[in-house]
Amino acid sequence: MFLTRSEYDRGVNTFSPEGRLFQVEYAIEAIKLGSTAIGIRTNEGVILAVEKRVTSPLLVADSIEKILEIDRHVACAMSGLTADSRTMIEHARVEAQNHTFAYEEPIPVESVTQAVCDLALRFGEGADGQESTMSRPFGVALLIAGVDERGPQLYNTDPSGTFWRYEAKAIGAGSEGAQTELQEQYHRDITMGEAEVLALKVLKQVMEEKLSNTNVQLARVTQETGYTIYTKDELQSVISRM
Amino acid sequence: MMDYASMQFAPTEVPVEHHSHGGWEPYVDNGGTSLAIAGKDFVIVAADARQSDGYSINSRYDPKAFVLSNQTVIATTGYAADAKRLVEVMEQNAQTYFHKHDRAMGTTAMAQLMSNTLYYKRFFPYYVFPILAGLDKEGNGAVFSYDPVGNMERVVYLACGSASALVQPFLDNQVGGANQRGHEGGFLDRATARKIAIDAFTSATERDIHTGDWLDLFTIDRTGIHREKRELKHD
Repeated sequence: MFLTRSEYDRGVNTFSPEGRLFQVEYAIEAIKLGSTAIGIRTNEGVILAVEKRVTSPLLVADSIEKILEIDRHVACAMSGLTADSRTMIEHARVEAQNHTFAYEEPIPVESVTQAVCDLALRFGEGADGQESTMSRPFGVALLIAGVDERGPQLYNTDPSGTFWRYEAKAIGAGSEGAQTELQEQYHRDITMGEAEVLALKVLKQVMEEKLSNTNVQLARVTQETGYTIYTKDELQSVISRM
Repeated sequence: MMDYASMQFAPTEVPVEHHSHGGWEPYVDNGGTSLAIAGKDFVIVAADARQSDGYSINSRYDPKAFVLSNQTVIATTGYAADAKRLVEVMEQNAQTYFHKHDRAMGTTAMAQLMSNTLYYKRFFPYYVFPILAGLDKEGNGAVFSYDPVGNMERVVYLACGSASALVQPFLDNQVGGANQRGHEGGFLDRATARKIAIDAFTSATERDIHTGDWLDLFTIDRTGIHREKRELKHD
Protein backbone atom coordinates (compact mmCIF):
# COMPACT_ATOMS: atom_id res chain seq x y z
CA MET A 1 0.00 0.00 0.00
CA PHE A 2 2.69 2.48 1.02
CA LEU A 3 5.04 1.46 -1.81
CA THR A 4 2.59 2.45 -4.51
CA ARG A 5 1.90 5.81 -2.81
CA SER A 6 5.51 6.83 -2.29
CA GLU A 7 5.78 9.00 -5.44
CA TYR A 8 3.07 11.30 -4.19
CA ASP A 9 4.05 11.27 -0.53
CA ARG A 10 6.88 13.67 -1.22
CA GLY A 11 5.12 16.97 -1.90
CA VAL A 12 2.51 17.83 0.71
CA ASN A 13 0.47 19.65 -1.92
CA THR A 14 0.83 17.18 -4.76
CA PHE A 15 -2.26 15.36 -5.93
CA SER A 16 -1.93 11.65 -6.67
CA PRO A 17 -3.27 10.46 -10.05
CA GLU A 18 -6.40 9.28 -8.21
CA GLY A 19 -6.89 12.85 -7.01
CA ARG A 20 -5.82 12.47 -3.42
CA LEU A 21 -3.56 14.42 -1.09
CA PHE A 22 -1.88 11.69 0.90
CA GLN A 23 -0.30 13.90 3.56
CA VAL A 24 -3.69 15.34 4.38
CA GLU A 25 -5.17 11.87 4.55
CA TYR A 26 -2.36 10.71 6.85
CA ALA A 27 -3.00 13.70 9.08
CA ILE A 28 -6.63 12.64 9.33
CA GLU A 29 -5.37 9.18 10.27
CA ALA A 30 -3.17 10.74 12.96
CA ILE A 31 -6.23 12.03 14.78
CA LYS A 32 -7.54 8.52 15.13
CA LEU A 33 -4.56 7.89 17.43
CA GLY A 34 -5.43 10.83 19.67
CA SER A 35 -7.37 10.72 22.93
CA THR A 36 -11.15 10.68 22.62
CA ALA A 37 -13.09 13.95 22.80
CA ILE A 38 -16.85 14.36 22.81
CA GLY A 39 -19.16 17.30 22.21
CA ILE A 40 -22.91 17.37 22.78
CA ARG A 41 -25.16 20.28 21.82
CA THR A 42 -28.31 20.99 23.80
CA ASN A 43 -30.81 23.82 23.57
CA GLU A 44 -29.28 25.40 26.71
CA GLY A 45 -25.64 25.09 25.74
CA VAL A 46 -22.86 22.75 24.66
CA ILE A 47 -20.98 20.12 26.68
CA LEU A 48 -17.38 19.15 25.90
CA ALA A 49 -15.70 16.10 27.44
CA VAL A 50 -12.23 14.67 26.88
CA GLU A 51 -10.20 11.79 28.22
CA LYS A 52 -6.74 12.51 29.53
CA ARG A 53 -4.23 9.75 29.05
CA VAL A 54 -2.35 9.69 32.33
CA THR A 55 0.41 7.41 31.11
CA SER A 56 2.39 7.34 34.35
CA PRO A 57 1.50 7.65 38.02
CA LEU A 58 4.25 10.26 38.20
CA LEU A 59 2.60 12.40 35.52
CA VAL A 60 0.79 15.43 36.90
CA ALA A 61 -2.68 14.98 35.39
CA ASP A 62 -3.55 18.67 35.78
CA SER A 63 -0.79 19.55 33.31
CA ILE A 64 -2.75 17.94 30.48
CA GLU A 65 -5.10 20.50 28.99
CA LYS A 66 -7.30 19.34 26.15
CA ILE A 67 -10.22 21.75 26.53
CA LEU A 68 -9.33 25.39 25.98
CA GLU A 69 -11.09 28.74 25.97
CA ILE A 70 -11.08 30.65 22.67
CA ASP A 71 -13.28 33.52 23.83
CA ARG A 72 -15.80 33.93 26.64
CA HIS A 73 -18.47 32.34 24.44
CA VAL A 74 -16.39 29.80 22.50
CA ALA A 75 -14.38 26.81 23.72
CA CYS A 76 -12.63 23.96 22.02
CA ALA A 77 -11.73 20.35 22.71
CA MET A 78 -8.85 18.80 20.77
CA SER A 79 -7.60 15.43 19.72
CA GLY A 80 -4.32 14.68 17.97
CA LEU A 81 -0.99 16.48 18.24
CA THR A 82 -1.29 18.82 21.23
CA ALA A 83 1.54 21.04 20.00
CA ASP A 84 -0.20 21.64 16.66
CA SER A 85 -3.42 22.56 18.42
CA ARG A 86 -1.67 25.42 20.21
CA THR A 87 -1.01 27.16 16.89
CA MET A 88 -4.62 26.74 15.79
CA ILE A 89 -6.11 27.85 19.10
CA GLU A 90 -3.79 30.85 19.26
CA HIS A 91 -5.04 31.79 15.78
CA ALA A 92 -8.66 31.36 16.84
CA ARG A 93 -8.11 33.52 19.94
CA VAL A 94 -6.50 36.29 17.90
CA GLU A 95 -9.34 36.19 15.35
CA ALA A 96 -11.90 36.42 18.15
CA GLN A 97 -10.16 39.37 19.79
CA ASN A 98 -9.72 41.14 16.44
CA HIS A 99 -13.42 40.80 15.78
CA THR A 100 -14.32 42.26 19.17
CA PHE A 101 -11.86 45.10 18.62
CA ALA A 102 -13.25 45.93 15.19
CA TYR A 103 -16.97 45.55 15.86
CA GLU A 104 -17.41 45.59 19.67
CA GLU A 105 -19.33 42.32 19.54
CA PRO A 106 -18.47 38.65 20.09
CA ILE A 107 -17.37 36.80 16.96
CA PRO A 108 -19.93 34.35 15.54
CA VAL A 109 -19.06 30.73 16.34
CA GLU A 110 -19.07 29.70 12.69
CA SER A 111 -16.65 32.52 11.86
CA VAL A 112 -14.14 31.28 14.46
CA THR A 113 -14.46 27.81 12.97
CA GLN A 114 -13.96 29.13 9.46
CA ALA A 115 -10.89 31.10 10.60
CA VAL A 116 -9.32 27.97 12.06
CA CYS A 117 -10.06 26.02 8.89
CA ASP A 118 -8.52 28.75 6.73
CA LEU A 119 -5.32 28.18 8.69
CA ALA A 120 -5.50 24.40 8.29
CA LEU A 121 -4.64 24.48 4.60
CA ARG A 122 -1.85 27.04 4.86
CA PHE A 123 0.88 24.44 4.76
CA GLY A 124 3.44 23.52 2.10
CA GLU A 125 5.15 26.07 -0.09
CA GLY A 126 2.59 28.84 0.07
CA ALA A 127 1.10 30.51 -2.99
CA ASP A 128 2.43 33.71 -4.67
CA GLY A 129 5.84 33.33 -3.07
CA GLN A 130 4.33 33.89 0.39
CA GLU A 131 6.21 32.14 3.14
CA SER A 132 4.11 29.49 4.78
CA THR A 133 4.67 28.87 8.49
CA MET A 134 3.68 25.21 8.45
CA SER A 135 5.45 22.60 6.32
CA ARG A 136 2.82 19.88 6.83
CA PRO A 137 -0.87 19.63 7.66
CA PHE A 138 -1.92 20.05 11.28
CA GLY A 139 -2.42 16.70 12.97
CA VAL A 140 -5.38 17.94 14.98
CA ALA A 141 -9.13 17.66 14.98
CA LEU A 142 -11.13 20.16 17.00
CA LEU A 143 -14.57 20.26 18.53
CA ILE A 144 -15.52 23.92 18.67
CA ALA A 145 -18.40 24.71 21.00
CA GLY A 146 -19.97 28.11 21.32
CA VAL A 147 -23.03 30.26 21.71
CA ASP A 148 -24.11 33.31 19.72
CA GLU A 149 -27.38 34.80 18.49
CA ARG A 150 -27.96 31.62 16.49
CA GLY A 151 -27.95 29.66 19.75
CA PRO A 152 -25.62 26.91 20.98
CA GLN A 153 -23.51 25.34 18.23
CA LEU A 154 -21.00 22.52 17.92
CA TYR A 155 -18.51 22.27 15.04
CA ASN A 156 -15.93 19.67 14.12
CA THR A 157 -12.83 20.56 12.10
CA ASP A 158 -10.27 18.19 10.59
CA PRO A 159 -6.78 18.58 9.04
CA SER A 160 -8.22 19.04 5.55
CA GLY A 161 -9.71 22.36 6.63
CA THR A 162 -13.25 21.10 6.33
CA PHE A 163 -15.79 21.70 9.07
CA TRP A 164 -19.19 20.26 9.86
CA ARG A 165 -21.86 21.22 12.35
CA TYR A 166 -23.02 18.48 14.71
CA GLU A 167 -25.60 17.85 17.40
CA ALA A 168 -23.18 15.42 18.99
CA LYS A 169 -19.74 14.32 17.84
CA ALA A 170 -16.86 12.17 19.01
CA ILE A 171 -13.28 12.43 17.71
CA GLY A 172 -10.08 10.57 18.50
CA ALA A 173 -9.14 6.92 19.14
CA GLY A 174 -12.51 5.86 20.52
CA SER A 175 -14.55 7.99 18.13
CA GLU A 176 -16.17 5.16 16.17
CA GLY A 177 -17.65 3.42 19.18
CA ALA A 178 -18.44 6.70 20.88
CA GLN A 179 -20.21 8.12 17.82
CA THR A 180 -22.41 5.04 17.51
CA GLU A 181 -23.33 5.36 21.17
CA LEU A 182 -24.07 9.08 20.82
CA GLN A 183 -26.28 8.39 17.82
CA GLU A 184 -28.32 5.98 19.90
CA GLN A 185 -28.55 8.10 23.02
CA TYR A 186 -28.88 11.65 21.65
CA HIS A 187 -32.28 13.24 21.36
CA ARG A 188 -33.11 16.80 20.37
CA ASP A 189 -34.50 17.91 23.71
CA ILE A 190 -31.63 16.58 25.79
CA THR A 191 -30.90 18.76 28.83
CA MET A 192 -27.48 19.97 29.96
CA GLY A 193 -27.70 17.65 32.99
CA GLU A 194 -28.41 14.66 30.75
CA ALA A 195 -25.70 15.69 28.28
CA GLU A 196 -23.06 15.89 31.04
CA VAL A 197 -23.85 12.35 32.11
CA LEU A 198 -24.11 11.04 28.55
CA ALA A 199 -20.73 12.53 27.62
CA LEU A 200 -19.02 10.84 30.57
CA LYS A 201 -20.87 7.53 30.04
CA VAL A 202 -19.76 7.38 26.42
CA LEU A 203 -16.20 8.33 27.37
CA LYS A 204 -16.16 5.64 30.03
CA GLN A 205 -17.10 3.01 27.45
CA VAL A 206 -14.23 3.84 25.13
CA MET A 207 -11.53 4.62 27.70
CA GLU A 208 -8.90 2.09 28.61
CA GLU A 209 -8.31 3.48 32.08
CA LYS A 210 -11.02 3.62 34.71
CA LEU A 211 -12.80 6.97 34.48
CA SER A 212 -12.18 9.30 37.44
CA ASN A 213 -12.21 13.00 38.19
CA THR A 214 -8.51 13.19 37.33
CA ASN A 215 -8.43 11.53 33.91
CA VAL A 216 -11.30 13.37 32.21
CA GLN A 217 -12.08 17.02 31.60
CA LEU A 218 -15.58 18.42 31.27
CA ALA A 219 -16.64 21.89 30.19
CA ARG A 220 -19.79 23.71 29.21
CA VAL A 221 -20.57 26.77 27.13
CA THR A 222 -23.91 28.47 27.81
CA GLN A 223 -25.51 31.75 26.79
CA GLU A 224 -25.63 32.97 30.40
CA THR A 225 -22.19 32.06 31.75
CA GLY A 226 -20.12 31.42 28.62
CA TYR A 227 -17.25 28.97 28.92
CA THR A 228 -16.84 27.12 32.23
CA ILE A 229 -14.55 24.21 32.97
CA TYR A 230 -15.73 21.84 35.68
CA THR A 231 -13.74 21.67 38.90
CA LYS A 232 -12.77 18.31 40.36
CA ASP A 233 -15.72 18.52 42.77
CA GLU A 234 -18.21 19.43 40.04
CA LEU A 235 -16.81 16.60 37.92
CA GLN A 236 -17.19 14.19 40.83
CA SER A 237 -20.83 15.16 41.29
CA VAL A 238 -21.51 14.41 37.59
CA ILE A 239 -19.68 11.07 37.92
CA SER A 240 -21.86 10.20 40.90
CA ARG A 241 -24.95 10.78 38.74
CA MET A 242 -23.78 8.30 36.10
CA MET B 1 12.09 102.35 29.97
CA MET B 2 11.71 101.45 26.35
CA ASP B 3 14.66 102.25 24.13
CA TYR B 4 12.80 104.08 21.38
CA ALA B 5 16.00 105.42 19.83
CA SER B 6 17.31 101.99 18.86
CA MET B 7 14.00 100.92 17.51
CA GLN B 8 14.28 103.50 14.77
CA PHE B 9 17.00 101.42 13.17
CA ALA B 10 15.01 98.23 13.16
CA PRO B 11 14.09 97.18 9.62
CA THR B 12 10.58 98.18 8.81
CA GLU B 13 8.30 95.29 7.93
CA VAL B 14 5.34 95.99 5.73
CA PRO B 15 2.38 93.75 6.52
CA VAL B 16 2.12 91.37 3.63
CA GLU B 17 -0.65 88.93 2.92
CA HIS B 18 0.94 85.55 2.37
CA HIS B 19 -0.85 83.95 -0.50
CA SER B 20 0.06 80.32 -0.95
CA HIS B 21 1.10 79.77 -4.52
CA GLY B 22 0.62 76.11 -5.30
CA GLY B 23 0.92 75.24 -1.61
CA TRP B 24 -0.76 72.00 -0.67
CA GLU B 25 -4.16 72.48 0.97
CA PRO B 26 -5.66 69.06 1.31
CA TYR B 27 -8.84 70.14 3.06
CA VAL B 28 -11.92 72.14 2.08
CA ASP B 29 -15.01 72.79 4.19
CA ASN B 30 -17.99 72.13 1.93
CA GLY B 31 -20.52 73.14 4.56
CA GLY B 32 -23.89 71.54 5.01
CA THR B 33 -25.77 70.35 8.06
CA SER B 34 -26.94 66.99 9.35
CA LEU B 35 -28.91 65.82 12.36
CA ALA B 36 -30.32 62.68 13.95
CA ILE B 37 -32.96 62.12 16.60
CA ALA B 38 -33.41 58.75 18.31
CA GLY B 39 -36.83 57.53 19.36
CA LYS B 40 -37.74 54.47 21.37
CA ASP B 41 -38.17 52.21 18.33
CA PHE B 42 -37.15 54.51 15.48
CA VAL B 43 -34.54 57.04 14.52
CA ILE B 44 -34.69 60.05 12.22
CA VAL B 45 -31.74 61.23 10.15
CA ALA B 46 -31.78 64.41 8.09
CA ALA B 47 -29.17 66.18 5.99
CA ASP B 48 -29.33 69.00 3.47
CA ALA B 49 -27.84 68.48 0.02
CA ARG B 50 -26.13 71.79 -0.77
CA GLN B 51 -22.42 71.56 -1.42
CA SER B 52 -20.60 74.87 -1.19
CA ASP B 53 -17.09 76.30 -1.22
CA GLY B 54 -17.02 79.71 0.40
CA TYR B 55 -19.66 81.90 -1.27
CA SER B 56 -19.96 79.52 -4.25
CA ILE B 57 -22.42 76.69 -4.51
CA ASN B 58 -20.80 73.66 -6.16
CA SER B 59 -23.98 71.64 -6.24
CA ARG B 60 -27.59 72.05 -5.15
CA TYR B 61 -28.04 68.32 -4.85
CA ASP B 62 -25.04 66.37 -3.61
CA PRO B 63 -26.43 64.04 -0.94
CA LYS B 64 -24.41 63.59 2.24
CA ALA B 65 -26.53 60.96 3.98
CA PHE B 66 -26.29 57.35 2.83
CA VAL B 67 -27.94 54.05 3.61
CA LEU B 68 -25.37 51.52 4.88
CA SER B 69 -27.74 48.64 5.68
CA ASN B 70 -31.47 48.14 6.10
CA GLN B 71 -31.19 49.55 9.61
CA THR B 72 -28.29 52.01 9.51
CA VAL B 73 -27.73 55.41 7.88
CA ILE B 74 -24.63 57.62 7.89
CA ALA B 75 -24.87 61.41 7.55
CA THR B 76 -21.73 63.43 6.91
CA THR B 77 -20.60 67.05 6.94
CA GLY B 78 -17.22 68.68 6.43
CA TYR B 79 -15.06 67.93 3.40
CA ALA B 80 -17.24 66.28 0.74
CA ALA B 81 -14.43 64.28 -0.90
CA ASP B 82 -13.32 62.77 2.41
CA ALA B 83 -16.94 62.08 3.32
CA LYS B 84 -17.43 60.23 0.05
CA ARG B 85 -14.33 58.11 0.69
CA LEU B 86 -15.37 57.37 4.28
CA VAL B 87 -18.78 56.20 3.10
CA GLU B 88 -17.17 54.00 0.43
CA VAL B 89 -14.92 52.40 3.03
CA MET B 90 -17.88 51.77 5.31
CA GLU B 91 -19.92 50.28 2.46
CA GLN B 92 -17.07 47.99 1.44
CA ASN B 93 -16.63 46.82 5.02
CA ALA B 94 -20.34 46.21 5.42
CA GLN B 95 -20.34 44.07 2.28
CA THR B 96 -17.25 42.10 3.33
CA TYR B 97 -18.77 41.52 6.75
CA PHE B 98 -21.97 40.25 5.15
CA HIS B 99 -20.09 37.70 3.07
CA LYS B 100 -17.76 36.65 5.86
CA HIS B 101 -20.32 36.23 8.63
CA ASP B 102 -23.46 35.52 6.61
CA ARG B 103 -25.40 38.35 8.25
CA ALA B 104 -25.74 42.11 7.99
CA MET B 105 -23.54 44.23 10.22
CA GLY B 106 -25.53 45.68 13.11
CA THR B 107 -25.64 49.39 13.94
CA THR B 108 -23.44 49.12 17.04
CA ALA B 109 -20.88 47.04 15.14
CA MET B 110 -20.84 49.67 12.41
CA ALA B 111 -20.47 52.38 15.05
CA GLN B 112 -17.33 50.73 16.44
CA LEU B 113 -16.01 50.05 12.94
CA MET B 114 -16.39 53.71 12.01
CA SER B 115 -14.51 54.82 15.12
CA ASN B 116 -11.66 52.48 14.13
CA THR B 117 -11.81 53.57 10.48
CA LEU B 118 -11.44 57.21 11.51
CA TYR B 119 -8.69 56.51 14.02
CA TYR B 120 -6.64 54.52 11.49
CA LYS B 121 -6.19 57.89 9.78
CA ARG B 122 -5.30 59.63 13.05
CA PHE B 123 -2.38 61.51 11.46
CA PHE B 124 -4.06 62.49 8.19
CA PRO B 125 -7.70 62.43 9.21
CA TYR B 126 -10.81 62.37 7.10
CA TYR B 127 -12.08 65.94 7.59
CA VAL B 128 -15.58 64.68 8.27
CA PHE B 129 -18.03 65.00 11.13
CA PRO B 130 -20.13 61.88 10.70
CA ILE B 131 -23.34 60.85 12.41
CA LEU B 132 -24.23 57.17 12.43
CA ALA B 133 -27.84 56.34 13.22
CA GLY B 134 -29.95 53.22 13.21
CA LEU B 135 -31.58 50.60 15.37
CA ASP B 136 -29.51 48.66 17.88
CA LYS B 137 -29.85 44.92 18.61
CA GLU B 138 -32.83 45.56 20.90
CA GLY B 139 -34.59 47.62 18.21
CA ASN B 140 -34.04 50.93 20.02
CA GLY B 141 -33.10 54.10 18.17
CA ALA B 142 -29.35 54.71 18.31
CA VAL B 143 -27.35 57.82 17.35
CA PHE B 144 -23.55 57.89 17.41
CA SER B 145 -21.52 61.08 17.41
CA TYR B 146 -17.91 61.30 16.17
CA ASP B 147 -15.09 63.74 15.73
CA PRO B 148 -12.75 63.40 12.72
CA VAL B 149 -10.27 61.16 14.58
CA GLY B 150 -12.80 58.65 15.85
CA ASN B 151 -13.88 59.73 19.32
CA MET B 152 -17.32 58.19 19.64
CA GLU B 153 -20.30 58.76 21.89
CA ARG B 154 -23.80 57.34 21.82
CA VAL B 155 -26.32 60.17 22.14
CA VAL B 156 -30.08 60.66 21.81
CA TYR B 157 -29.97 63.53 19.32
CA LEU B 158 -27.27 65.45 17.53
CA ALA B 159 -26.61 68.16 14.96
CA CYS B 160 -23.40 68.50 12.95
CA GLY B 161 -22.02 70.80 10.30
CA SER B 162 -22.15 74.45 9.28
CA ALA B 163 -25.46 75.19 11.06
CA SER B 164 -24.81 72.95 14.07
CA ALA B 165 -24.38 76.03 16.28
CA LEU B 166 -27.96 76.97 15.34
CA VAL B 167 -29.55 73.53 15.32
CA GLN B 168 -27.95 71.89 18.37
CA PRO B 169 -29.38 74.39 20.90
CA PHE B 170 -32.75 74.09 19.19
CA LEU B 171 -32.61 70.30 19.64
CA ASP B 172 -31.34 70.72 23.22
CA ASN B 173 -34.52 72.65 23.92
CA GLN B 174 -37.07 70.77 21.82
CA VAL B 175 -35.75 67.20 22.13
CA GLY B 176 -33.65 67.32 25.29
CA GLY B 177 -36.07 69.61 27.14
CA ALA B 178 -33.31 72.01 28.19
CA ASN B 179 -34.62 75.15 29.95
CA GLN B 180 -38.20 73.90 29.81
CA ARG B 181 -40.02 73.93 33.12
CA GLY B 182 -41.82 70.67 33.85
CA HIS B 183 -40.39 68.82 30.86
CA GLU B 184 -41.39 65.17 31.00
CA GLY B 185 -38.24 63.65 29.48
CA GLY B 186 -38.21 60.38 27.58
CA PHE B 187 -38.25 59.81 23.84
CA LEU B 188 -40.25 61.83 21.30
CA ASP B 189 -42.92 60.20 19.17
CA ARG B 190 -42.20 59.79 15.51
CA ALA B 191 -44.40 62.57 14.11
CA THR B 192 -42.99 65.15 16.55
CA ALA B 193 -39.38 64.11 15.93
CA ARG B 194 -39.90 64.35 12.17
CA LYS B 195 -41.53 67.78 12.49
CA ILE B 196 -38.67 69.08 14.65
CA ALA B 197 -36.11 67.78 12.14
CA ILE B 198 -37.85 69.58 9.29
CA ASP B 199 -38.32 72.82 11.28
CA ALA B 200 -34.64 72.74 12.25
CA PHE B 201 -33.63 72.70 8.60
CA THR B 202 -36.15 75.34 7.50
CA SER B 203 -34.68 77.69 10.11
CA ALA B 204 -31.07 76.71 9.48
CA THR B 205 -31.59 77.44 5.77
CA GLU B 206 -32.76 80.98 6.68
CA ARG B 207 -29.63 81.86 8.68
CA ASP B 208 -26.81 79.69 7.29
CA ILE B 209 -25.67 80.33 3.71
CA HIS B 210 -24.12 76.85 3.46
CA THR B 211 -27.35 75.02 4.25
CA GLY B 212 -30.31 74.72 1.88
CA ASP B 213 -31.65 73.50 -1.48
CA TRP B 214 -32.83 69.99 -0.57
CA LEU B 215 -33.36 67.89 2.52
CA ASP B 216 -32.85 64.13 2.61
CA LEU B 217 -34.86 62.74 5.49
CA PHE B 218 -34.67 59.12 6.62
CA THR B 219 -36.93 57.40 9.13
CA ILE B 220 -35.53 54.05 10.27
CA ASP B 221 -37.77 51.58 12.07
CA ARG B 222 -38.38 47.85 12.38
CA THR B 223 -39.84 47.73 8.86
CA GLY B 224 -36.80 49.33 7.22
CA ILE B 225 -35.66 52.73 6.02
CA HIS B 226 -38.18 55.24 4.71
CA ARG B 227 -36.67 58.03 2.64
CA GLU B 228 -38.15 61.42 1.79
CA LYS B 229 -36.65 64.20 -0.32
CA ARG B 230 -38.00 67.65 0.64
CA GLU B 231 -37.36 71.07 -0.81
CA LEU B 232 -35.53 73.76 1.16
CA LYS B 233 -35.08 77.36 0.05
CA HIS B 234 -32.66 77.71 -2.86
CA ASP B 235 -31.41 81.25 -2.04
